Amino acid sequence: MLMLYALLLYAIIGTLIAILAKKKLLTDEDYYIAGRNVSGVVSALTYAATTYSAFMMVGLVGLTYLSGVGALGFELFYLVGTLLLLSYYAPKIWKMGKEKGLITPGDLIASRYGEFTAKIMAIVVAIALIPYTSIQFVGISFLLGNAMSFESGVILSAIIIALWALLGGLRSVAWTDAIFGLFMLSMAIIAVFYAFSMLPSNPQFSKLGELLYVPNSFWTPVVFVSYTLPWFFFALTNPQVLQRLFIPKDEKSMRRMVILFGIFGLIYTILVTLLGLQLRLLTEEGIFPKVGNRDQVTPTFLNMIPEWLAVTIALSIFAAAITTANSIVLTLSSMFSRDLLKNRSVLAGRLFVVAITSAVAIFAIQKPAYIVDLAVMSSTILLCQLPLILGIFHYNIGGRISASLTLIAGFSTAIVMLYTKATFGIPVSIWVLVISFTAFFLTAILEKRFKASD
Amino acid sequence: MKALEGLIVVLVMCVPFIAIKSTDLTTYIYWSLVSAIYLAYIAFSRW
Repeated sequence: MLMLYALLLYAIIGTLIAILAKKKLLTDEDYYIAGRNVSGVVSALTYAATTYSAFMMVGLVGLTYLSGVGALGFELFYLVGTLLLLSYYAPKIWKMGKEKGLITPGDLIASRYGEFTAKIMAIVVAIALIPYTSIQFVGISFLLGNAMSFESGVILSAIIIALWALLGGLRSVAWTDAIFGLFMLSMAIIAVFYAFSMLPSNPQFSKLGELLYVPNSFWTPVVFVSYTLPWFFFALTNPQVLQRLFIPKDEKSMRRMVILFGIFGLIYTILVTLLGLQLRLLTEEGIFPKVGNRDQVTPTFLNMIPEWLAVTIALSIFAAAITTANSIVLTLSSMFSRDLLKNRSVLAGRLFVVAITSAVAIFAIQKPAYIVDLAVMSSTILLCQLPLILGIFHYNIGGRISASLTLIAGFSTAIVMLYTKATFGIPVSIWVLVISFTAFFLTAILEKRFKASD
Repeated sequence: MKALEGLIVVLVMCVPFIAIKSTDLTTYIYWSLVSAIYLAYIAFSRW
């Protein structure tokens, strides 16, 4: 019951922050990218809070508990990939955004491949991000397991997520992200220290055996690639973080955002995976029960520690989940209203916030898969955009037709293979990349020839 | 340059798959250190 009261208190505080941040919402640029006037520190914290979600403290803790240190490698591959991509592309994307007045990732695509491609992209990302957004609802509902039913937890989280996105747009999302981002990090530190205090005085990590190296029975090279590849390109293919590149107020703030995000990400990843390893060692020592469902590892841990501490840690996970989900919902609403409907009124975006939140809630209630697997599924589908995004900066070929066909080919490949599981032993992400790049270059060459002959 | 840097980063991150097989925290510490060094490189050298 204390958990429920704490969640309500959190919802009230977050709503107050959203209301306080609600000012000067005159244009869609104000609503969706906070008027392109966010400091480096707040940009970094909103980038981190948007990226790190219930996936971390629920999904990744459980994955580390089950599979060992390979989960750290998987998540750090994401981090170094993001640093690599952002260090090269973030300044260029930020500059393009400022010069051309870009607001959504669709605007970026439309600036090179036309508005029709941006419309297709809006549909693709809306579908692709449903699994990833749903894990935030699932994570919250697992933690509220003792206080209410799973379905009620999903509905409650949907209401909070939609409310905050509706109230103040990105300015309120950025401020709630910044404040709760620091809270998430602090509580992860406390969780690790508490779990450490439960260990024997001289913990023998060697008892974890094959969990301390790769490859092992879980992390075969094929599994590692299938988890890691979509994650490596996350910074360019996930629209909710790509849109964050438009918000820093100047180039110095943009660079500060990347570096501070890297520091946050590294510390948070180390803490979360360390917690997973500690809990597994506690199991080997007979102190913590063996947990079969990996998404229940963190909820089981919270049931074993003092209630005040469990509630505070749970609140930090709610914060992580909600800050990610409302950022995604806001980005999708901007793409849907601006790119697909060509409606620049904030009202259209707000209606879409309600629609997409409802769709995600319905999906989440089905409890479709493990949290990490749903997250990887979304990023796998989103890989079909990669040739288009890289093409803006590197390729002289590719236009409206080739870009649209690339999205359709890559998206169809991902959906069919994820559904049928007919992958011939090769990760779906590799298929999506190969098909998408092949489709892009072949159709781009043909498109160029047809244009030349006209 | 971008491709070469990306290749080097990926190869260095893959080292535990071929060169580390110990039942202590070596792999854990290795991956954490490589990521920290790359972050420091971007913060202080690249930018």
